[in-house]
Amino acid sequence: MKDKKSIPAKDDNYTHNISRNNERSLDRRGFMKTMVGAAGMFAVASLPWGTIAAKELMGLSDKEYPHQKIVDVKDIAIGDSVEFHFPSENDSAVLIRLSQDKYVAYQNACTHLRCPVYWVKEEKEMICPCHHGKFDVVTGAPTAGPPRRPLPEIIVQVDNESVYAVRVKRYEA
Amino acid sequence: MKRSYVGVIGLSVILLANIIFTQLMVHQFFFQNYDAVLLYMASNIILFPVAILIYKKERDKGESGYAKK
Ligand code: FES
Repeated sequence: MKDKKSIPAKDDNYTHNISRNNERSLDRRGFMKTMVGAAGMFAVASLPWGTIAAKELMGLSDKEYPHQKIVDVKDIAIGDSVEFHFPSENDSAVLIRLSQDKYVAYQNACTHLRCPVYWVKEEKEMICPCHHGKFDVVTGAPTAGPPRRPLPEIIVQVDNESVYAVRVKRYEA
Repeated sequence: MKRSYVGVIGLSVILLANIIFTQLMVHQFFFQNYDAVLLYMASNIILFPVAILIYKKERDKGESGYAKK
């Protein structure tokens, strides 16, 4: 190694030991490799969605859960609501008595960000407190605010003076 | 050597399709249109080998180009 100044001066060969020959092609190639990898990630990432969907399609769809008693008819006045859990302990739901013998029930996790939706008797609307989403009580369809999907409806049945949850209705395609 | 962008552009298109399919898939999942979910999953998976194919094609092209030089 010589004095620093002299190195670039003569034949500009201070990069003589760096091969730049294939650099550009390798650059692009490396980039493309990354892109292929990203495509692979997408493929892998869609697998779980697909498997759950397939599982859901295979017979589990529209399955009947054991009928579950929600409340006795005498304990719910017209216009009132009761909260319950269906089909599992972790799915909170709400039952609303609209008239003498018209009941509706929905899973009340808001379809926006899953806050609990509750029934406001005075306004005849289901309201989500988080971002003021509103749902139509008869159909479960969103009427205002951020939610875009209807609440999943639970089919109920009145038997022997009590209300039972039968199954969760699927969205109509 | 004339630079060819076909590979990069092709892969970009594939990634764009990936993003779109994934988005649609997740939406359809929450709408419980499970057939649609399966369809989008299949498309996403098929895009991966296609991406590999494009990459390989481009790589071989590059190699021959440099071999000549
Ligand atoms: S979570 Fe219900 S409106 Fe946002």
